[in-house]
Amino acid sequence: MSNKKRIYIHPAPVRVWHWINAAGFVILILTGFQIRYADILGWIPLKDAITIHNYVGFVVIINYFLWIIYYLGSSEIKIYIPDFRLFVAKAVRQVKYYGYGIFKGDPNPHTMIPDNKFNALQQQSYLGIMLLLLPAQMISGVFLWKVKGYSDYINLLGGIKVIDTIHVLLFFVFSTFLIVHCYLATLGHTPLAHFKAMFTGYEEDH
Amino acid sequence: MLFAARIQGCETTGPPGENYTMKKMTGLTLRYGLGILFICCLWPASMFAIENSECLECHSDEDLTKESTDNILQSSITVQLYVDEEKFNHSVHNINGITCVDCHSDIEELNYDEDLPHKEYLETVCCATCHEEEGDAFKSSVHMEILKKGITMTCYACHGYHYVMQMESASLAERENQYCLRCHNPYQYHEWLPAKDSHFAMVECIVCHSPDVPQEIHLHFVDLVTNKLYESDEIIKILGIGYDKFMPLVDQNEDGLINLDEFENLILLLRQKKVHARFHAELVADVVPVAHDVKRGIAEKTCQKCHSANSPYFDAVFILFKLEDGTVDRHEVVRSVLESYNLGHFYLMAGTRVKLLDKIGFLLLAGGASVVFLHLIIRVLTIPVRRKKKKMSEEKRRFSDE
Repeated sequence: MSNKKRIYIHPAPVRVWHWINAAGFVILILTGFQIRYADILGWIPLKDAITIHNYVGFVVIINYFLWIIYYLGSSEIKIYIPDFRLFVAKAVRQVKYYGYGIFKGDPNPHTMIPDNKFNALQQQSYLGIMLLLLPAQMISGVFLWKVKGYSDYINLLGGIKVIDTIHVLLFFVFSTFLIVHCYLATLGHTPLAHFKAMFTGYEEDH
Repeated sequence: MLFAARIQGCETTGPPGENYTMKKMTGLTLRYGLGILFICCLWPASMFAIENSECLECHSDEDLTKESTDNILQSSITVQLYVDEEKFNHSVHNINGITCVDCHSDIEELNYDEDLPHKEYLETVCCATCHEEEGDAFKSSVHMEILKKGITMTCYACHGYHYVMQMESASLAERENQYCLRCHNPYQYHEWLPAKDSHFAMVECIVCHSPDVPQEIHLHFVDLVTNKLYESDEIIKILGIGYDKFMPLVDQNEDGLINLDEFENLILLLRQKKVHARFHAELVADVVPVAHDVKRGIAEKTCQKCHSANSPYFDAVFILFKLEDGTVDRHEVVRSVLESYNLGHFYLMAGTRVKLLDKIGFLLLAGGASVVFLHLIIRVLTIPVRRKKKKMSEEKRRFSDE
């Protein structure tokens, strides 16, 4: 234990936001499958799946705004912004690590510190997700929730089928993201290290 | 007057017992006379029928009214007796040759010597005399049940009197505004139903409330840019053809069904005519007698009945043309058009989902899972490599410490 240093990486508001978001995503994905494949899946009645999906959807939307307020209010948003001059080189280095170096036992080229906790690939992915994909998913979800009420906007964007296509494609993207995200979380110094850190706030530096 | 004249006419050519007349007739005249008499006897209804025009001599007067008593409120009311000839001529009854006295059958003759040429109080018209099946279905409906509460629900409370239109090609709004929505406010009774607005805008009431009625999807032409809903005659005019040439133009493989390619071609054809055609789809009930058997408490509430890729509710898809003579041409369209983006405003969760998205989605999921799985396998297989490296580095560190 002597060579292990504990670093406070994940502040409490971020951890709370993360786990609410995680639970929300899992429920939204499961109910999303039930809604889209109601004829194949019989987990819960369609009506209940829709009701749960709607409520949890709004929880995730509110949670998103808490995230925005926290990160903009604390200026911590900078951890999501890549350094564009070094971005490509860092991203290539990270891809090499995940694709080859990790198997040999090479050290991770990115060192996690509170002000720079994401590697280049994480920064790019999370920035895209938080500022583009998640808002698109939330807006399309709200439109699908009240189709008649938002019919003007829906028509402007090409109709309900276009909105549904956006929502469904992003649903698959987020489902895939969840699989990859959970797997990547096992790449710490132990398989559960990153999971523990997201509860305690402390990452162990090796 | 015509009626009376015809009677007289028949009488003068007919009575065979009058010798004086007989003597004056030549053999040829006698044969003609007997022939006419024979026709009069065989065909009395059409020969002596009261024409609509006779009724309209009085009933085209907009001020024609009578005082009566309201059945339910028991209050005195003024009943308008005016019949709009133009509207009546477009009614389904007139189109099918049904005349005034076919329904008002207790008027056998008009006596023009009186102020009122027929009796003052006519018998109530019983629609079920002709519409027997509809009448039978109605008997077991909720609308008949309310008789127990003292409310008499007549056919014409929904259908009106003289201007009953064919409903087969009618839009959802026309169907509901003329019928259910006149009495019922759907927002009062559907607390359980998610996305009420969408359901009410796309699905006819009796699709759920009379589940035994066959359902079908009707497609209406809409311009994407102007949002204009085109009537049948407008589309036919734009295409520059007659109604009878529509299917030969569209149904190129002549199988009587507009398939997806033919559907896309129709849209291209219209685009060449400067119409940015899209289709508006509605789930409506077939116009069949059993549609009158609206039930209370057994309305379809199982969402999966519709929200299923195999739902029978979408098996029948039609483009309907209302012809000038009031009849309807039905052109069947393959069900898969409901997945088309040309029906951009019609989407039913699970029911009409775009299958291509499922393929893309599962490819994404399978791709992500495969990468993860492969990575995990390689990680497991390379454990000895990392252990060896770790051991070597520990030994190296120990050696350097020493």
